[in-house]
Formats: sequence, structure tokens, C-alpha cells
Amino acid sequence: MTKKPPSRVPLRHWLFALPALLLVSVFIAVPYFTIAVMSVRTPSNTQIYAPGFTLQNYIRIVGDHLYLGLLADTLLYAAITAAICLVLAYPTALHLARTKSHLRGFLYAAVLSPLLTGVVIRCFGWIVLLATQGLVNDALRAVGVGPIPFLYRPTGVIIALVHVFLPFMILPIMNAVEAIDPRLEEAARTLGASQVTVFRRVILPLSMPGVQSGVILVFVLAASAYVIPMLIGGGRVQTMVTVIVQQLLGGFLWPFGAALALVLSLAAILVLIGFTLLTRRAMRRLA
Amino acid sequence: MSLRHPLLIGFVSAVYIFLLLPTVIVVLTSINPAEYLSFPPTGFSLRWYSAFLAARQFTDAFWFSTWLGLAAAFFAALLGTPAAIFYVRYLRAGREQFRFAVLSPILLPEVLTAIALLFFFNQVFGGTRTVLPLLIGHVVITLPFVFLAVTSALYNIPPSVEEAARTLGATPSRSFFRITLPLIRSGVITGALLAFIMSFDNVNISLLLKPVGTSTLPIQLFDYLRYDFDPTSAAASTISVALTMTLLIVIDRIYGLRAVRF
Repeated sequence: MTKKPPSRVPLRHWLFALPALLLVSVFIAVPYFTIAVMSVRTPSNTQIYAPGFTLQNYIRIVGDHLYLGLLADTLLYAAITAAICLVLAYPTALHLARTKSHLRGFLYAAVLSPLLTGVVIRCFGWIVLLATQGLVNDALRAVGVGPIPFLYRPTGVIIALVHVFLPFMILPIMNAVEAIDPRLEEAARTLGASQVTVFRRVILPLSMPGVQSGVILVFVLAASAYVIPMLIGGGRVQTMVTVIVQQLLGGFLWPFGAALALVLSLAAILVLIGFTLLTRRAMRRLA
Repeated sequence: MSLRHPLLIGFVSAVYIFLLLPTVIVVLTSINPAEYLSFPPTGFSLRWYSAFLAARQFTDAFWFSTWLGLAAAFFAALLGTPAAIFYVRYLRAGREQFRFAVLSPILLPEVLTAIALLFFFNQVFGGTRTVLPLLIGHVVITLPFVFLAVTSALYNIPPSVEEAARTLGATPSRSFFRITLPLIRSGVITGALLAFIMSFDNVNISLLLKPVGTSTLPIQLFDYLRYDFDPTSAAASTISVALTMTLLIVIDRIYGLRAVRF
């Protein structure tokens, strides 16, 4: 709230925004700051934290293979999820953006509705589907592939992650494709470009911003997922977030949990910066 | 690559089946009389629905979630609507920063926000013993949905309508209550319905901020599915899905689903 209103906006108009800005400042900005403070507090066995500040929480994470391995696993699952989502979403988004089918409204609702169905319920569906006696394994047995244990394994967790976050990849790509002026394609076709060339030189480069935001969204969501690894992984697939929540709710090791949360955030941000730089170069080459 | 290429159609159809299958399975499980979660269904029965109605832990959680969602949607609409009006009509400089600030609850990872609020309430409010921290958490994460819906409603009405009212002698407040507000009403309702759905389905915020002894429906399902499960939870899930779908149809009727952008 220290932001000074620009002189052109009268003070009474700021009253419109004040409640929302107060809410976000007090209940987002300040609480995020408390994570940082908590992470340098001294851990204690008898209370939430002891007086004084220390870096020992961070030193413990960096020095322990268990937590570094957990971090690597978490980022790897998130990256695999984003990659599979991209492969599934791109053709779907292209079709949805350009189809003139009368089913279009229904298809859009089909993409949107999973977003609005609780994640617990969708995990429940996957538990039924992926069980040893479930529909997927029945189908696999029918074609002679032995039952594959999906539940309590990273495979099952990644399948559910892809399912839950797929709409977050489809929607931005669809928006980007819809924003492409159809006359650009027509012009390219008139000038003699083949359908493949039009896709490669016009649609693909112009849809890249959508791909970029889709990948970033899905990566962040998958790296910070809690319910899916808990339910599909059944406690046998651990990620940074399941361990953090366990520290907070089970162990009351708040300073250590806070440090873990910040290490995960920092690592995810570094991965995303690398990704953005790489795709920017690729986009320049495509264009 | 043509849109009607059979390979593309086949691929896209498979993606839609993948998207919808788990929810369909849950619904089918809930009407299957069998004791175990089995597929395909062996018949039709509503026994799991009567089991749901008889299970206090589920019905209590259902009503608690409903009240929490209604309260969160009310306050999110109350705070989000003026913020959207301010953003569209008045704000000149720093528009991106303002938008980012109001949307930050959905841009930041929800688990992280829940952890931050847990620490915050513990240091400032003396813990999460009452429903208030939980309600505040739900208002914070549902605020962006009202903001987005009202912003898009405002962009759809030309400023000239309000100017006309002002030229004809209406005071600013009269033109706001008589012209602007009725025109964005459907946007506000859509935002509030989305806020309700998001609150009703929320797990992360509820898990970390709920007072001991109360439970929301998703938390109750989550706890149930972690240890043992019978199809009662499928019935509870189906009721929750049916509620969401009904609200979606309402949104589609009053505002059009296409206008809902994330």
C-alpha cells in the first residue's frame, strides 16, 4: 500500500481498489515474507521454533542426498508431465481453435470441466482405473501385456498429473492459435506454400507464446502438486511437497519445512529461466 | 495438415476420452451395487447414495463446504467487483502491476500460499482455531476469478453508454448504479459462481488452514481415500460433480462458457 497513486487517478477512485489490494497485501505479500523468515529460524523440539536465526536448515538440505534426490525427482516428474501434456495438447488445441464443428461448444466444455471438478475426485477415478484389477489392466491383459502396477508408482502419479493439468496446456495454446489472423495462412497458401510449410513457418512460430505459457503453468502446477502424489502414490511416491506438508502437519518442523519450500521454489524458478532462454532462441530461429 | 485428417481426429478423440474418463468412472462406480470398486458395473443401485445420506461425516462436510463456498464467493464478489471496475475504467499507470497483484493468488503455487498463510495466521492470529483463517484463505484464492469475469464483462460494454447517461444529467453514482452495475451483473454472478466452485473443490488451503474437528467435503474424501474406500465416497464425489456441472450450465446460460478465460 506504499504505492503512490498517479496524479491523474483521483483518490476516491482508489477506494474501489483498496479492499482487494489490502486483501492481497496482508494475506499474500506479508505471509510469503513469513516463509522466508521462518526458514532462517532456529528449529526446536519443544516449540515451533527457538529464538535466534540460523542458516542450518539450508545447510541440512544441501548436505543431504535424500533431499537433493527428492528435489531432482520432483522436478523430473514435473518436466515429464509438461512434455507429455504438450504432445497431447498441441493437436487438440489446434483442432479446438480452428474447428467449425457444431460440437465445438461441447468440446470446449469438455476441456474446461475437468478444471472445475475437484482434484480428489479425478484421482479417485484414476485409482479405480489403474488398480491391478482395474479397467486399464484388464485391457492390457486382453492384449497379452501383464498387469502393470501403476498405483504407488511414479508412472501412475505422472498419468494423473498429466490428466489433471492438461487443460492448462490446451487453453493457452488454443488462445494463441485463435489470435493468429487466418489471412496470414491464406496469404502464405496463395504465395505457394504447402500445408506443411504454412504450419512450420506461420502457425508454429506464432503459437509459441501459448506453448511457452502452457509449459510454465503445467511445470509449476506439477512441481507443487500435493493431492495427486499423496493419493496415487499412496505414501510410497514422495515429492518435495508431500515431504514439506508432512514436516508442517506431522512433525511441526516449521523452519525446516519453510526452507524446503524455498529451495523448491528457487530450483523451479531456475529451471523456468533456463527454459525461457532456450525457447526464446528457438523462437528466433523459427521466425 | 487438414483439420479433418483421420489421424488428427483419432488423436484428438483419444485426448477427450482421456480427459473425461476418470469422472465417468466415478459416476458409474457410485451406481454400481457391488461392495468393491469394480468395473464394469454389475447393475444399478442407489444404495451408496443412501449410505452417503446416512454418513454424518460426509453430510456435515458437504454442508460445511457449501456454507464456506457461499461465504467465500460473497466476499470475493464484494472485493473483486470494484477492483475490476477500477482496473478497467480508472487505472492508467501501473496496469500490469495491478493486474498481477490481484491475480497473484492464482499465479502463485497454491500449496505455497497455504503454507504462507499457515505461518502468518500462527504468528498474527494465534493459530487456526476458528473458521476465520480458512474463510480468508478461500476469499484470497477465489478473488481472481471474480476479477477476471467482471473485467471481461466490463470490456463488453462500451464506455459511451455511461457517457450518454452522464450527458443526460445523471450523477456519477446514479450512472454507476443504474447503468454500469446492471450491465455487469451477469459477469459478477459468473465470477461468484466460479469462486464458489473453486472454494468447494479446494484441498490445499483447506488442509492447512482448517480448524481441528471440522472438515470440508474434499478433505473428507481425501482422508477417506487415503486409508480405505468403499463406494460411499463415489456417491459423495458424484453429488459434488453434479453440483459443479449444474453451476457450469447456469454460467453457460447467463454468460456463455466461451467468455470464461483462464
